[in-house]
Amino acid sequence: MTLSESGESRVRGYLYVFERSLRSFLAPKVAADAVREVESHIREAVAQAGDPPDELDALERILMRLGAPMKVAQAYSLELVMDEAETTGRLGPVFRSLFQMAATGVTAFFGAFGLFAGYMIGLASLAIAILKPIFPDNVGIWMHDGIPVSAGALFPAPPAARGLTLAGGYAVIPLFLGLGLVLLLVTHSLARQWIGRIRARRQRKGPVSIR
Amino acid sequence: MLENWTEQLRRGTLEMAVLLTVAPGPRYGLEIIRHLEEFTDLVLSEGTVYPLLTRLARDGFLTAEWIEDKAPHPRKYYRLTPSGRARLNNMCREFQAFTGKIARLMQAAGRDV
Repeated sequence: MTLSESGESRVRGYLYVFERSLRSFLAPKVAADAVREVESHIREAVAQAGDPPDELDALERILMRLGAPMKVAQAYSLELVMDEAETTGRLGPVFRSLFQMAATGVTAFFGAFGLFAGYMIGLASLAIAILKPIFPDNVGIWMHDGIPVSAGALFPAPPAARGLTLAGGYAVIPLFLGLGLVLLLVTHSLARQWIGRIRARRQRKGPVSIR
Repeated sequence: MLENWTEQLRRGTLEMAVLLTVAPGPRYGLEIIRHLEEFTDLVLSEGTVYPLLTRLARDGFLTAEWIEDKAPHPRKYYRLTPSGRARLNNMCREFQAFTGKIARLMQAAGRDV
Protein backbone atom coordinates (compact mmCIF):
# COMPACT_ATOMS: atom_id res chain seq x y z
CA MET A 1 0.00 0.00 0.00
CA THR A 2 1.33 3.44 -0.92
CA LEU A 3 -0.01 6.20 1.24
CA SER A 4 -1.83 9.16 -0.29
CA GLU A 5 -1.22 12.70 0.96
CA SER A 6 -4.00 12.37 3.57
CA GLY A 7 -2.54 9.04 4.73
CA GLU A 8 0.91 10.62 5.05
CA SER A 9 -0.64 13.48 6.94
CA ARG A 10 -2.28 11.05 9.38
CA VAL A 11 1.07 9.29 9.97
CA ARG A 12 2.84 12.62 10.52
CA GLY A 13 0.12 13.64 12.98
CA TYR A 14 0.51 10.38 14.93
CA LEU A 15 4.30 10.77 15.06
CA TYR A 16 4.01 14.43 16.07
CA VAL A 17 1.82 13.62 19.09
CA PHE A 18 4.07 10.67 19.96
CA GLU A 19 7.22 12.80 19.82
CA ARG A 20 5.64 15.58 21.89
CA SER A 21 4.54 13.05 24.50
CA LEU A 22 8.00 11.48 24.67
CA ARG A 23 9.93 14.74 24.86
CA SER A 24 8.83 15.59 28.38
CA PHE A 25 10.52 12.60 29.97
CA LEU A 26 13.02 10.99 27.58
CA ALA A 27 16.45 12.26 26.58
CA PRO A 28 16.23 13.81 23.07
CA LYS A 29 18.44 11.12 21.51
CA VAL A 30 16.34 8.27 22.96
CA ALA A 31 13.12 10.04 21.96
CA ALA A 32 14.36 10.55 18.38
CA ASP A 33 15.31 6.88 18.12
CA ALA A 34 11.90 5.83 19.47
CA VAL A 35 10.11 8.02 16.92
CA ARG A 36 12.24 6.60 14.13
CA GLU A 37 11.45 3.06 15.25
CA VAL A 38 7.71 3.66 15.49
CA GLU A 39 7.76 5.30 12.05
CA SER A 40 9.62 2.28 10.72
CA HIS A 41 6.92 0.04 12.23
CA ILE A 42 4.14 2.04 10.55
CA ARG A 43 5.92 2.05 7.16
CA GLU A 44 6.57 -1.68 7.43
CA ALA A 45 2.96 -2.44 8.40
CA VAL A 46 1.69 -0.22 5.57
CA ALA A 47 3.95 -2.05 3.09
CA GLN A 48 2.64 -5.41 4.33
CA ALA A 49 -1.00 -4.31 4.12
CA GLY A 50 -1.15 -5.04 0.38
CA ASP A 51 -3.68 -3.05 -1.59
CA PRO A 52 -6.75 -2.54 0.63
CA PRO A 53 -9.91 -0.95 -0.84
CA ASP A 54 -9.96 1.78 1.79
CA GLU A 55 -6.46 3.12 2.52
CA LEU A 56 -7.43 5.32 5.47
CA ASP A 57 -9.40 2.53 7.13
CA ALA A 58 -6.42 0.17 6.77
CA LEU A 59 -4.10 2.84 8.16
CA GLU A 60 -6.38 3.45 11.14
CA ARG A 61 -6.31 -0.27 11.92
CA ILE A 62 -2.51 -0.25 11.81
CA LEU A 63 -2.36 2.72 14.17
CA MET A 64 -4.99 1.22 16.47
CA ARG A 65 -2.97 -2.00 16.79
CA LEU A 66 0.08 0.09 17.59
CA GLY A 67 -1.82 1.96 20.33
CA ALA A 68 -2.64 5.60 20.98
CA PRO A 69 0.55 7.72 20.73
CA MET A 70 0.30 8.98 24.30
CA LYS A 71 -0.17 5.45 25.62
CA VAL A 72 2.85 4.20 23.69
CA ALA A 73 4.85 7.12 25.09
CA GLN A 74 3.66 6.16 28.58
CA ALA A 75 4.90 2.63 27.98
CA TYR A 76 8.35 4.06 27.19
CA SER A 77 8.21 6.03 30.41
CA LEU A 78 7.29 2.93 32.39
CA GLU A 79 9.99 0.76 30.82
CA LEU A 80 12.79 3.29 30.70
CA VAL A 81 12.50 6.38 32.84
CA MET A 82 10.67 5.06 35.89
CA ASP A 83 12.65 1.84 35.77
CA GLU A 84 15.91 3.78 35.68
CA ALA A 85 14.72 6.21 38.35
CA GLU A 86 13.75 3.44 40.75
CA THR A 87 16.71 1.14 40.18
CA THR A 88 19.57 3.63 39.80
CA GLY A 89 18.17 6.62 41.71
CA ARG A 90 19.88 9.01 39.27
CA LEU A 91 18.59 12.55 39.61
CA GLY A 92 17.78 13.10 35.92
CA PRO A 93 15.38 10.14 35.57
CA VAL A 94 13.90 10.81 39.04
CA PHE A 95 13.10 14.43 38.13
CA ARG A 96 11.73 13.41 34.72
CA SER A 97 9.52 10.79 36.39
CA LEU A 98 8.26 13.29 38.99
CA PHE A 99 7.57 15.83 36.27
CA GLN A 100 5.62 13.28 34.28
CA MET A 101 3.72 11.95 37.29
CA ALA A 102 2.76 15.49 38.36
CA ALA A 103 0.70 15.77 35.20
CA THR A 104 -1.35 12.63 35.89
CA GLY A 105 -3.69 13.94 38.60
CA VAL A 106 -4.29 16.34 41.48
CA THR A 107 -2.90 14.04 44.20
CA ALA A 108 0.12 13.20 42.08
CA PHE A 109 0.65 16.89 41.40
CA PHE A 110 0.77 17.78 45.09
CA GLY A 111 2.92 14.72 45.83
CA ALA A 112 5.45 15.74 43.18
CA PHE A 113 5.25 19.36 44.37
CA GLY A 114 6.02 18.30 47.96
CA LEU A 115 9.02 16.26 46.84
CA PHE A 116 10.25 19.10 44.65
CA ALA A 117 9.94 21.43 47.66
CA GLY A 118 11.95 18.93 49.73
CA TYR A 119 14.75 18.97 47.16
CA MET A 120 14.71 22.77 46.98
CA ILE A 121 14.78 23.28 50.78
CA GLY A 122 17.61 20.73 51.03
CA LEU A 123 19.60 22.56 48.37
CA ALA A 124 18.85 25.94 50.00
CA SER A 125 20.15 24.61 53.33
CA LEU A 126 23.38 23.49 51.66
CA ALA A 127 23.65 26.89 50.01
CA ILE A 128 23.39 28.59 53.43
CA ALA A 129 26.19 26.35 54.78
CA ILE A 130 28.38 27.13 51.76
CA LEU A 131 27.69 30.89 51.71
CA LYS A 132 28.13 31.50 55.45
CA PRO A 133 31.96 31.63 55.45
CA ILE A 134 31.90 33.86 52.33
CA PHE A 135 29.24 36.33 53.58
CA PRO A 136 29.33 35.96 57.38
CA ASP A 137 27.27 39.13 58.00
CA ASN A 138 24.55 38.32 55.47
CA VAL A 139 23.87 34.63 55.91
CA GLY A 140 22.41 32.72 58.83
CA ILE A 141 19.32 32.57 61.02
CA TRP A 142 17.55 35.92 61.20
CA MET A 143 15.92 36.80 64.54
CA HIS A 144 13.42 39.49 65.48
CA ASP A 145 12.90 40.17 69.18
CA GLY A 146 14.57 36.86 69.98
CA ILE A 147 12.28 34.88 67.66
CA PRO A 148 13.70 33.23 64.52
CA VAL A 149 11.85 34.63 61.49
CA SER A 150 13.85 33.24 58.59
CA ALA A 151 17.01 31.49 57.50
CA GLY A 152 19.00 32.46 54.47
CA ALA A 153 20.91 35.32 52.95
CA LEU A 154 19.97 39.02 52.90
CA PHE A 155 21.83 41.44 50.63
CA PRO A 156 22.52 44.06 51.77
CA ALA A 157 22.35 43.19 55.46
CA PRO A 158 19.29 44.93 57.00
CA PRO A 159 19.95 48.04 59.14
CA ALA A 160 19.79 47.52 62.90
CA ALA A 161 16.71 49.79 62.99
CA ARG A 162 14.61 47.00 61.47
CA GLY A 163 15.26 44.89 64.54
CA LEU A 164 16.65 41.94 62.64
CA THR A 165 19.71 40.27 64.10
CA LEU A 166 21.80 37.39 62.89
CA ALA A 167 22.04 34.40 65.22
CA GLY A 168 23.95 31.17 65.27
CA GLY A 169 27.35 32.41 64.16
CA TYR A 170 29.43 29.83 62.34
CA ALA A 171 27.48 27.04 64.03
CA VAL A 172 24.95 27.39 61.18
CA ILE A 173 27.48 25.78 58.83
CA PRO A 174 27.36 22.25 60.32
CA LEU A 175 23.69 22.74 61.24
CA PHE A 176 22.54 23.57 57.71
CA LEU A 177 25.02 21.20 56.12
CA GLY A 178 23.51 18.34 58.14
CA LEU A 179 19.94 19.54 57.62
CA GLY A 180 20.46 19.90 53.86
CA LEU A 181 22.02 16.47 53.45
CA VAL A 182 19.34 14.77 55.56
CA LEU A 183 16.55 16.55 53.67
CA LEU A 184 18.01 15.62 50.28
CA LEU A 185 18.54 11.98 51.27
CA VAL A 186 15.06 11.61 52.81
CA THR A 187 13.36 13.39 49.87
CA HIS A 188 15.27 11.31 47.35
CA SER A 189 14.45 8.08 49.15
CA LEU A 190 10.75 9.05 49.32
CA ALA A 191 10.79 9.97 45.61
CA ARG A 192 12.25 6.58 44.63
CA GLN A 193 9.74 4.72 46.79
CA TRP A 194 6.85 6.68 45.33
CA ILE A 195 8.04 6.16 41.76
CA GLY A 196 8.37 2.44 42.54
CA ARG A 197 4.78 2.29 43.80
CA ILE A 198 3.39 4.20 40.81
CA ARG A 199 5.44 2.03 38.46
CA ALA A 200 4.15 -1.16 40.07
CA ARG A 201 0.57 0.13 39.90
CA ARG A 202 0.95 1.07 36.24
CA GLN A 203 2.52 -2.30 35.48
CA ARG A 204 -0.56 -3.97 36.96
CA LYS A 205 -3.11 -1.98 34.97
CA GLY A 206 -0.93 -0.16 32.48
CA PRO A 207 -0.72 0.34 28.76
CA VAL A 208 -0.14 -3.27 27.69
CA SER A 209 -3.86 -3.79 28.16
CA ILE A 210 -4.83 -0.95 25.81
CA ARG A 211 -6.31 -1.68 22.48
CA MET B 1 -10.54 -10.81 38.29
CA LEU B 2 -9.49 -13.64 35.97
CA GLU B 3 -8.59 -11.04 33.37
CA ASN B 4 -6.21 -9.36 35.83
CA TRP B 5 -4.57 -12.66 36.61
CA THR B 6 -4.18 -13.48 32.91
CA GLU B 7 -2.74 -10.01 32.37
CA GLN B 8 -0.16 -10.62 35.10
CA LEU B 9 0.84 -13.91 33.49
CA ARG B 10 1.11 -12.21 30.12
CA ARG B 11 3.30 -9.43 31.48
CA GLY B 12 5.52 -11.82 33.36
CA THR B 13 6.28 -13.89 30.30
CA LEU B 14 6.49 -11.24 27.58
CA GLU B 15 10.15 -10.49 28.24
CA MET B 16 11.07 -14.18 27.98
CA ALA B 17 8.97 -14.52 24.83
CA VAL B 18 10.78 -11.57 23.22
CA LEU B 19 14.19 -13.03 24.10
CA LEU B 20 13.09 -16.41 22.69
CA THR B 21 11.97 -14.71 19.48
CA VAL B 22 15.37 -13.16 18.81
CA ALA B 23 17.33 -16.20 20.08
CA PRO B 24 17.66 -17.88 16.64
CA GLY B 25 18.93 -14.71 14.96
CA PRO B 26 18.42 -10.96 14.53
CA ARG B 27 14.87 -9.72 13.94
CA TYR B 28 13.34 -6.27 13.54
CA GLY B 29 10.42 -4.89 15.55
CA LEU B 30 7.42 -5.81 13.43
CA GLU B 31 8.95 -9.21 12.68
CA ILE B 32 9.23 -9.86 16.43
CA ILE B 33 5.62 -8.80 16.94
CA ARG B 34 4.31 -10.98 14.10
CA HIS B 35 6.28 -13.95 15.43
CA LEU B 36 4.84 -13.44 18.92
CA GLU B 37 1.34 -13.12 17.46
CA GLU B 38 1.81 -16.34 15.51
CA PHE B 39 2.69 -18.39 18.58
CA THR B 40 1.10 -16.54 21.51
CA ASP B 41 -1.48 -13.97 22.49
CA LEU B 42 1.00 -12.01 24.59
CA VAL B 43 0.92 -8.85 22.47
CA LEU B 44 -2.25 -6.85 23.04
CA SER B 45 -0.81 -3.53 21.95
CA GLU B 46 2.02 -3.55 19.43
CA GLY B 47 3.37 -0.21 20.64
CA THR B 48 4.32 -1.60 24.04
CA VAL B 49 6.79 -4.11 22.59
CA TYR B 50 9.16 -1.33 21.45
CA PRO B 51 9.76 0.17 24.92
CA LEU B 52 10.45 -3.36 26.18
CA LEU B 53 12.94 -3.94 23.36
CA THR B 54 14.60 -0.60 24.13
CA ARG B 55 14.90 -1.49 27.81
CA LEU B 56 16.33 -4.93 27.04
CA ALA B 57 18.89 -3.25 24.76
CA ARG B 58 19.71 -0.67 27.41
CA ASP B 59 20.17 -3.45 29.99
CA GLY B 60 22.63 -5.20 27.66
CA PHE B 61 20.49 -8.25 26.86
CA LEU B 62 20.00 -7.21 23.22
CA THR B 63 21.98 -5.17 20.74
CA ALA B 64 20.12 -2.94 18.33
CA GLU B 65 21.31 -1.90 14.90
CA TRP B 66 19.64 0.19 12.22
CA ILE B 67 19.88 -1.40 8.76
CA GLU B 68 19.06 0.92 5.88
CA ASP B 69 19.32 -1.26 2.80
CA LYS B 70 17.07 -4.28 3.40
CA ALA B 71 13.78 -2.44 2.82
CA PRO B 72 12.54 0.88 1.38
CA HIS B 73 12.65 2.22 4.95
CA PRO B 74 15.25 1.62 7.70
CA ARG B 75 14.69 -1.28 10.07
CA LYS B 76 16.07 -1.69 13.56
CA TYR B 77 17.35 -5.22 14.10
CA TYR B 78 17.68 -6.74 17.56
CA ARG B 79 20.17 -9.46 18.38
CA LEU B 80 20.67 -11.45 21.59
CA THR B 81 23.93 -10.69 23.46
CA PRO B 82 25.84 -13.33 25.47
CA SER B 83 24.38 -11.85 28.64
CA GLY B 84 20.91 -11.95 27.08
CA ARG B 85 21.42 -15.60 26.18
CA ALA B 86 22.51 -16.38 29.74
CA ARG B 87 19.43 -14.58 31.06
CA LEU B 88 17.19 -16.46 28.63
CA ASN B 89 18.69 -19.80 29.69
CA ASN B 90 18.02 -18.96 33.34
CA MET B 91 14.49 -17.81 32.58
CA CYS B 92 13.70 -20.97 30.61
CA ARG B 93 15.06 -23.17 33.39
CA GLU B 94 13.06 -21.32 36.05
CA PHE B 95 9.94 -21.30 33.90
CA GLN B 96 10.11 -25.05 33.23
CA ALA B 97 10.69 -25.81 36.90
CA PHE B 98 7.80 -23.56 37.86
CA THR B 99 5.31 -24.92 35.33
CA GLY B 100 6.39 -28.49 36.20
CA LYS B 101 5.55 -27.90 39.85
CA ILE B 102 2.19 -26.33 39.01
CA ALA B 103 1.43 -29.26 36.67
CA ARG B 104 2.19 -31.72 39.48
CA LEU B 105 -0.03 -29.71 41.79
CA MET B 106 -2.85 -29.82 39.23
CA GLN B 107 -2.45 -33.56 38.83
CA ALA B 108 -2.56 -34.00 42.60
CA ALA B 109 -5.82 -32.01 42.61
CA GLY B 110 -7.27 -34.30 39.94
CA ARG B 111 -7.13 -31.68 37.17
CA ASP B 112 -6.22 -32.60 33.62
CA VAL B 113 -2.92 -31.09 32.48
